[in-house]
Amino acid sequence: MDFNLSPESKMMVKAAKDFCEKEIGPIIDEIIEKDDYPDDLLLSFAKARMLGLNIPKEYGGVGTTNLNTILITEELGKTGSVCAYPMLMNNSTAETIDYWGSEDVKKEFLPPLCDGSAYASTAFTEPGTGSDPRALTTTAVPDGSDFIVNGTKRYITGGNKKGYGVFYFKDEALKGEKGDVTAFIVDKSSEGYTTSAPWNLMGLEGMNCVDVFLNDVRVPGSSILGERGNGFKILLRWIAGERIQQAAYMVGLGQAALDESVKYLGERVVGGKPMGFMQGFQWMLAEMKGRLEACRYLTYRAACLQDEGNAIDIDSSELKVFVIPAIQEITRMALQIHGSYGYSKEYKVERLFRYAAHAGVVASSSEINKTIAGSALLKSRR
Amino acid sequence: MNIIVCIKQVPDVTEVSWDPETGSLIRKGIPSIINPNDKNAIEAALQLREMNGGEVTVISMGPSQVEEALREALGMGVDRAIQLTAKQFAGSDTWATAYTLGLAMKKIGQYDLIICGKEAIDGMTAQVGPQLAEYLGLPQLAYAMHIEVVDSKVRVKQKLGDLDRLLEAPMPALITVEREAYQPRVAPMDTILEAYGKEIPVWKPDDLNGEVENFGLTGSPTKLRKVYTPKLIKGKIEMLEGGPEDVARKFIGKLKEKYIL
Repeated sequence: MDFNLSPESKMMVKAAKDFCEKEIGPIIDEIIEKDDYPDDLLLSFAKARMLGLNIPKEYGGVGTTNLNTILITEELGKTGSVCAYPMLMNNSTAETIDYWGSEDVKKEFLPPLCDGSAYASTAFTEPGTGSDPRALTTTAVPDGSDFIVNGTKRYITGGNKKGYGVFYFKDEALKGEKGDVTAFIVDKSSEGYTTSAPWNLMGLEGMNCVDVFLNDVRVPGSSILGERGNGFKILLRWIAGERIQQAAYMVGLGQAALDESVKYLGERVVGGKPMGFMQGFQWMLAEMKGRLEACRYLTYRAACLQDEGNAIDIDSSELKVFVIPAIQEITRMALQIHGSYGYSKEYKVERLFRYAAHAGVVASSSEINKTIAGSALLKSRR
Repeated sequence: MNIIVCIKQVPDVTEVSWDPETGSLIRKGIPSIINPNDKNAIEAALQLREMNGGEVTVISMGPSQVEEALREALGMGVDRAIQLTAKQFAGSDTWATAYTLGLAMKKIGQYDLIICGKEAIDGMTAQVGPQLAEYLGLPQLAYAMHIEVVDSKVRVKQKLGDLDRLLEAPMPALITVEREAYQPRVAPMDTILEAYGKEIPVWKPDDLNGEVENFGLTGSPTKLRKVYTPKLIKGKIEMLEGGPEDVARKFIGKLKEKYIL
């Protein structure tokens, strides 16, 4: 593993920074206020060729490495906003389709996810389950060469935006078999597909996270992703990649919290001197930086493991167990450094602190990842 | 349509140090960027190519690290890049720079437009573009806010203070672009990857058929006598209060007190 980034990686990071300044910075406040992102945001990502980053060029992607994708994601995380969510969701969903899809499925669904004409979603969670495939209640019933799907999906990011989603249903024809969950690519403009108003989520204003109601929605059999009954396996692989992506975003967010703290301690004057002269604050900065660098390199390592073709289910869980609380602590320290200003919405650290809080429960909870990582260690002893 | 864009790599800082002997910038250890105004020139060229077809070539003279700036321009989407790097080019003033670039233009041969940024943030002379036009005998259209090609001629909307002027010239011509025009695009990720697969030829004096004595510091008629930071004069500020006439009277009195009047 080479820790020196290539010149092209550095330039991609520079371009991502440029994108954040030009395209995201000016609209963050509006997104938070309206609790919605503008429809042309995804097109801006497409124009900057930030969609389909690790998708082969023949399907409209960029064809770069997971490490470069993670470096770009880290830069976007510095905005401490949901602005990158449409891009992240398109990329992770497209990667899943690319990995599991047939040639026909790839040709049909990957180009719109790469050119920004379709918003992606991934839908597993339901009102009664977040991780347990046995508890799924949404169903897919064969009807000729099609399937009829029914049920409710919860917390579906971009579920109310035009495009496609990978949905996981109980495959009624496989009832009683060990694997009875099948993944389908559902057109979100299908008849019978409706959504709730967006959930009001802490720190995630504008994420367009909705409930999806499926009422006799007809899905063609050609939209099945991978093998029937293989759905949970597809989900687990997707969510492992999602954990690395989330860690990268959080590293960027932690960097923003540190940058804001350094700036504040250099500007705020106490007793005629900048506040940073106090040793207590210097120690806090040192702790923040040390933790941040550890998180950063663990995240890069996980991306490199992906690029080398290794399974990342356990490593990504270990990553989440370490990175999320570390970054949450960094944002807490940043808020503390800012004193009362840290609680003000006028200051960026307030948003960073609230945003960081979600990471322990989204893309699988920190606790379930401890179980995955810990039980893997015990299994390896047998 | 073939367009050549001239760019300069400049230090990414507001405070720089100087070599007291040559009066040149000390670049060592300072991160470098494409001169911001030159990025507007690149953007103008890319938009003209998108409308009229053709090819955009970017050219830059500077030390070996100028390759980095050329790669960035390729990342933005220009088709090819040419680097002018040789120790003989070091220390060039605007005349020697225009001379060297002019020789390179002659070597390239086929072009319809040369586009430059209005000025560089380090020297701020705004001379190289016009000097290059003079050297090549081209019509020059400076301070462009908008460029279009109509019936094989180039039209430029130029902003001069409160005045807007519409200029037209036959091609080839040289244009300098204003900072407010043609906001540079975000370099697309796929183009960045392609940028590193392209070869950048490095041209030296022997490639340009020029007079050796006209290159670099020896060929530069501008000699810097001294580069220094003006000293700040410290003192008390006294605010005069009252109506305009009263304050004017007090001010005259103060000037007399100090024997200034």
